[in-house]
Amino acid sequence: MSGALPLLTWEGLPLAVLLSSFIPGIGIMLLGEERRRARTLLNLAGAVAKLVFVALLLQGVAAGAEYAWAMEILPGLALTLRADALALLFVTLSAVLWLLTTIYAIGYLEGGENRRRFFSFFSLCVTATTGIALAGDLFTFVLFYEALTWATYPLVVHRGTPESVEAGRRYLVYTLVSGAVLVLGAVWFQVETGSIAFGPGGVVDPEAAAAAPTRYLVLFLVLLAGLSVKAALFPVHGWLPVAMVAPAPVSALLHAVAVVKAGAFGVTRLLHSLFGIEVSWAIGGAGVVAVLAAVTILYGSIRALAQDDLKRLLAFSTVSQLSYIALGVALLAPMAQVGGLVHLVHQGIQKIVLFFCAGLLAETLGVKKISQMGGVARRMPLTLAAFTLAALGMIGIPPMAGFLSKWYLGVGAFQGGMPWVAGVLLASSLLNAAYFLPVIRTAYLDEPDEAWSTDAPPRGRWGAEADLRLLLPAVIVALLALLAGVFGGAAWSPLAWSELIVGRGDLW
Amino acid sequence: MVGAEAGAGGLLVAAAVGLPLLLAMAWWMPPLRRGATALAPLAALPAAVLAGVHLASLRAARRVADEAGLPVAPESGLDLTLELPLLFLNLRLGIDLAGGALLTLTALLWVAGGLFARRSRADDPRKETFFAFFLATMAGNVGLVLAADLLTFYLFFALMTFAGWGLVVHARSEAAVRAGRVYLVLALLGEVAILWALFSLGAAGGAGFTASGFVEAGNALALVPGEGLAASWEALGERAPWVALLALFGLGVKAGLLPLHLWLPLAHPVAPTAASALLSGVMIKAGVLGWLRILPEVGLALPGGEGAPLALGVWVGGVLLVMGAVGAFWGVVCGLAQDDPKTILAYSSISQVGYLAMGTGLLVLAGPGTEVGLLALGAVLLYALHHGVAKAALFLSVGVAGVVSVGPPRGPSRPGSLRARLRDDGVGLWGLRLGVFLPALALAGFPLTSGAVAKGLLKNALAEQGGGWYAVLDPLLLLAATGTTLLLLRFGVRLEAKVSERRAEARAGEHGSNPDASAGLPPGLALPWGGLVLASILAPLWLAPGALGAAFVPPGVEVPSALGGGMAGFLQLALPVVVGAGVGGLVLVRVLAGPGLPGGFHRLRIPAGDLLVPVSALLARRPRSSAGLATLAAGVREVLLRFEDRVAALHARLGRGDLALMRGPALGFLLLLLILGLAIFGSG
Repeated sequence: MSGALPLLTWEGLPLAVLLSSFIPGIGIMLLGEERRRARTLLNLAGAVAKLVFVALLLQGVAAGAEYAWAMEILPGLALTLRADALALLFVTLSAVLWLLTTIYAIGYLEGGENRRRFFSFFSLCVTATTGIALAGDLFTFVLFYEALTWATYPLVVHRGTPESVEAGRRYLVYTLVSGAVLVLGAVWFQVETGSIAFGPGGVVDPEAAAAAPTRYLVLFLVLLAGLSVKAALFPVHGWLPVAMVAPAPVSALLHAVAVVKAGAFGVTRLLHSLFGIEVSWAIGGAGVVAVLAAVTILYGSIRALAQDDLKRLLAFSTVSQLSYIALGVALLAPMAQVGGLVHLVHQGIQKIVLFFCAGLLAETLGVKKISQMGGVARRMPLTLAAFTLAALGMIGIPPMAGFLSKWYLGVGAFQGGMPWVAGVLLASSLLNAAYFLPVIRTAYLDEPDEAWSTDAPPRGRWGAEADLRLLLPAVIVALLALLAGVFGGAAWSPLAWSELIVGRGDLW
Repeated sequence: MVGAEAGAGGLLVAAAVGLPLLLAMAWWMPPLRRGATALAPLAALPAAVLAGVHLASLRAARRVADEAGLPVAPESGLDLTLELPLLFLNLRLGIDLAGGALLTLTALLWVAGGLFARRSRADDPRKETFFAFFLATMAGNVGLVLAADLLTFYLFFALMTFAGWGLVVHARSEAAVRAGRVYLVLALLGEVAILWALFSLGAAGGAGFTASGFVEAGNALALVPGEGLAASWEALGERAPWVALLALFGLGVKAGLLPLHLWLPLAHPVAPTAASALLSGVMIKAGVLGWLRILPEVGLALPGGEGAPLALGVWVGGVLLVMGAVGAFWGVVCGLAQDDPKTILAYSSISQVGYLAMGTGLLVLAGPGTEVGLLALGAVLLYALHHGVAKAALFLSVGVAGVVSVGPPRGPSRPGSLRARLRDDGVGLWGLRLGVFLPALALAGFPLTSGAVAKGLLKNALAEQGGGWYAVLDPLLLLAATGTTLLLLRFGVRLEAKVSERRAEARAGEHGSNPDASAGLPPGLALPWGGLVLASILAPLWLAPGALGAAFVPPGVEVPSALGGGMAGFLQLALPVVVGAGVGGLVLVRVLAGPGLPGGFHRLRIPAGDLLVPVSALLARRPRSSAGLATLAAGVREVLLRFEDRVAALHARLGRGDLALMRGPALGFLLLLLILGLAIFGSG
């Protein structure tokens, strides 16, 4: 197509990606609460447009094009958007999952209150996430990082129950304090290095860092402290399991894409685009990240063991799995970095399925606890099929996508000379099996629980086991997680893209 | 021409793995389920065809080389490989000598098992689920046999492991679910050990980014002699002993190597009979194949010689030899104390895997390509074939016994005359006895059976190795064969007892309600079972050098005669069986026949799962608890829940305190910080 070519080279493409969710966000706020159709149309149009723009960007970046867009908003300070391969990994994930989660949310919240507020902030939340991904310098990053906090808060407290208000408060306390620390760190970084732009291989002068390693380490740690709350690193992960009181689509987006990924992505930028991995190791910062991540992986998994509430179990699982990313990108081995990066996508698609399924069970059967899940597979086979695939992926069983992450991280651990990391990964695999497999066994083998089997639960259209708007996104993403693993060798797989990032030297 | 051949070969390889996989996936599409279930018994046909084509072409290639006086080609002339770079991390499939032998076994047993299950599961309301797991397990099994690199091997190995769980728990009984849990726990530990080994080997082999681009891990694990995996071992150096041990034990879980066999006597018997036959007949061989794939080149990591007191190969091979020998006896001892015929057979498998471990140990000890190594490789492959067919036939006979025992209705019996008894028992029962006796004789290694051939080759390899191993193990092998005879005798006696019990019940219940009662043994069961029995009986013919035998062993290896070659050899083979039968038949007949071990032996009673009981009791700190693992899990859960509560309470307190502090002024302060930050950004 002749029309696509100018678009491909259009520098404003990153901005278009950003606006494709920002405009619906504002638009929905202006529309009335009852304008259901218009709202849905606007939402879906935005999500589809975003996908198209992202596809164009992917094509361009794969071919070697570069996109940068900047607008000066204060003297010397510009809003800088840049679409490099790393940014696109995150943007693509959020664009695809945003569309599916929107469909899910429309079904989930049908008949509920305050849907205008919900969908508006939902779009803004994705906008902020996209901004974080595309941020070309620390300033832009911090701006969107803070915006994300505010865009997410109304979603967490959406239900308005005392429990969710309490969760929202805790979320604000954690994120605002860490946000302030991040700003402090950003300012210090600017003063120290005179630069705030992200650059491949880092922008810190290795000699300067070598001259004052302690000061640079403290600077690194301040920035890390600012990022670690959203990345849910131990011991500041406490907000995450509480925030799961939010509606299922919010939890899904929060745990797979938006907030936690912003943190993990920030840690990646910190290690690779600000300090550079070599300097990070030289001053000891990367070692701190690796150890913290390893502790978090084990801690999250162990806590997950003791949960009966399905969503709470999933939340602790997120705490654990998320740190695979930080652990991978912190290592000095390219294979491990590929593993960490690709887990950004793999964890996202697998975890969102699990939350979708938790929502499906709660909505359709009222089942929220694992102890009530006996025999649910007979009533909701597709839901449980999706759940099983995603859970097996989390454990890291081939051919699910999660295995590829584990494989790259594991081989990378040995290449980086840190076999203990492989030990942590395998221990976490066993723990994942220990808390996911009993759930699956209960769902398939146990006798149906009275809590839901006595009355006839609602069915979806065409006799489907549940509302199709909830069921289809879950099934589709589960298939994506399967395909991402089975076709790991294909050029369009997340794995191939992560290899491209590392191979190009965007990271390395 | 060659291209077309290669293409067709590749397609056949793809069909062998793909057909069962596709049929298994049909389960998710309910309209297709019935069709897939009906086709399930045929899903292993492409694998059978592939095995046949491979064997034929290999034989042809060897004959041509023979006639031309050339060194014999180890591989066939056909290109039966398939590389799918899009799939997984570059899926590589192909067939070599070991693959050819094991594919023959795999295809034969899965066809027989599928046909048997089709009849025996006919009235099962959950048969579609059974066949879905059945097909997925089959796909994993065929795939791992054909895998041309260790990553591909692991992929299919994991598929077989997890799909196999569905077969173990199929009955949904308490025993089945418990067996399933033990199976999974040990399987997961095994997977972790294997992965650790593969991580190390992949990393050492240079997977990842190099100056010339990205190298897939599969390359570092490719099963190409002298390259790939071999180079990875060489590069591993000092860390190799740990890696080798992890691989050995990780795969040993599947093989049932002592002391990782705990799941086996629980899981094999509770599965439906057709699945038991496959678990014991062919799936434990997956672990053995894994050893054959990963271990032989281990000696390259730390070669022997000056400075190195012990070459790694000798060390790892020694572990296999010792554990194999111990297992060969342990299986017999524990098996003799069992009541259930299927559990006895499961213990016999543990004992027999001991022989396979010993053969593999010899191969690793001597190194691949050496004379001993070639003999040992041939011995392991022939033994796997021999044991697989005979053991599967015996397992199916337990299922057949269940039908025959309610047998055709007859008039009241007139005790006394043989003729009356024959009529009374029906031809089916005598057929059953014969069908149990002959494969059992083969397992015991009586002359003229496949066991004589396989054991003969193993002894030859051992004799060629010579030295201390030969001096110790050769007499032990005789003793173990005696034990096997005793164990199989106990199996026969217990099966007979079970048949009598059921017949009595059936008569009491006026021929019962079994629809098969009037039909006798249905052909749907008789054919696959009889086929396997026949294959086992005739094995000395088709394993013979003139027939297919040559294609199962490395070139230059002579397949020994089933007669033992001379009087001494014949006696060596026959003696343990005669002695075992004599001891069993004359002295211990009452002991063997009774439920459990009577008299003073009662205290020696060994529950199925033997070591599992003390192990789980130890874990649970509650002696004699049969659900030890569950208790342990519950305990951990309780501790964590308590911890959870405490953390939650702490959080609640902290959260409130923080908030009281935070509200208002704190937010304002943060806002101020933000603005300040922006300002400094601007000025800088």
